[in-house]
Amino acid sequence: MSSRKGQKKAAQVVRAQIAREKRRTRTIITSIAAVVLLVIAGLIGWTVYSSQKSKSFTSPPNANHTGTGIVLGQGPVTIDLYEDYLCPVCKQFQDTSGPTITQLINENKVRVVYHPVAFLNRFSSTQYSTRSAAASGCAAQGARFKEFTDALFAKQPPENSAGLSDNELIDIGASVGVNRDAMSSCVRDGTYKTWTAHVTDDAAKSGVTGTPTVKVNGKELTDRSPEGIKAAVAAAGK
Amino acid sequence: MMVELFSDPGRPMTVTAPSTRAIRWPAVRPWLGIAVRLGLAAVWLFAGATKVGDLAASGRAVNAYQVMPYDVAAVIGAALPFVELALGVLLLVGLATRLAAGVSAALLVVFITGIASAWVRGLAIDCGCFGSGGQLAAGQAPTYLPEILRDLGFLVMAGFLLIWPRTPFSVDGWLAGAAPEEGEDE
Repeated sequence: MSSRKGQKKAAQVVRAQIAREKRRTRTIITSIAAVVLLVIAGLIGWTVYSSQKSKSFTSPPNANHTGTGIVLGQGPVTIDLYEDYLCPVCKQFQDTSGPTITQLINENKVRVVYHPVAFLNRFSSTQYSTRSAAASGCAAQGARFKEFTDALFAKQPPENSAGLSDNELIDIGASVGVNRDAMSSCVRDGTYKTWTAHVTDDAAKSGVTGTPTVKVNGKELTDRSPEGIKAAVAAAGK
Repeated sequence: MMVELFSDPGRPMTVTAPSTRAIRWPAVRPWLGIAVRLGLAAVWLFAGATKVGDLAASGRAVNAYQVMPYDVAAVIGAALPFVELALGVLLLVGLATRLAAGVSAALLVVFITGIASAWVRGLAIDCGCFGSGGQLAAGQAPTYLPEILRDLGFLVMAGFLLIWPRTPFSVDGWLAGAAPEEGEDE
């Protein structure tokens, strides 16, 4: 083997080694860049979420002391109702079991805490869940929460639509006896939107993952029929 | 099917004999690779985009699995859509493909485990994979098996890119220079 040939071979080996080294550096740099990108993306999500989360909220009158729902009735057994005004199953529930609950309130057997949550904003183009729930706070301010709730479920818009407009919400409020001017400014200013966020957040925190959820003295009810509710209230009242 | 679709157009498509498989694979692999890469990118971009509009809802979907405290679930739910979008972008442009494929595979394993555990525990939830999520309404049946099978399919795609990260039209390839480096596929 001539020395020249040997030199050539050595140079080749060195070149290959340099190339390998370069490749490795490149891989490390691109990997670090990619990891940084992923971490930053995650941090952006966290930041956006924290900034969206409102720290303060105004509860309407008639809310419970934690501000997570509107209280009706003063009976010994507490029923917690988590409902979204856009949720079709909530409407069914209201239609079948609503009168029973009203009856139990009138008989002074239960204290009902209505939690108007906004779980289904995705299913309307106008954040109807938040708007309607905030409007129910306005109705509560006018002492017509129950009437407004019944009227909203009666006129429930379908999922994946725009939902009822602010004007329609105001009209419904006025039709059940809320002062029109008060209702109008309250809905337009979104006075209770932060409250709705608080109610929704609290519901998720307390393990409510869907609507409707009915709890009797804190225990989730699986049988939401009129008979099931009556039985649970009777059992809890003992 | 993808093999046919993305095989080199300059090559006759009539090869059917099994003996030609060995010859076809090197020609087909880059095109199959780019299809897989872009496919997985689309999956992440779509998954992220459907969740990013309502971060609180994304947090609730994570919380519905009941595997961590609400506050942790809320943070993960908020971060996840952005991480998914970033993964989608990495795969779309083909930057750090192997790493992105590895992270994809890890995430998919977590998702599959989560869905399986929800199934085992008898929870009735929507997986929240693409948008929605949370507990299902009464009378709605969960679709755990199709969800798991779908995620397993995505996992196979991630595995492909983990083994063969180099695909045409990628930033990785551009950074490495035009010449394909065989040694890189170690």
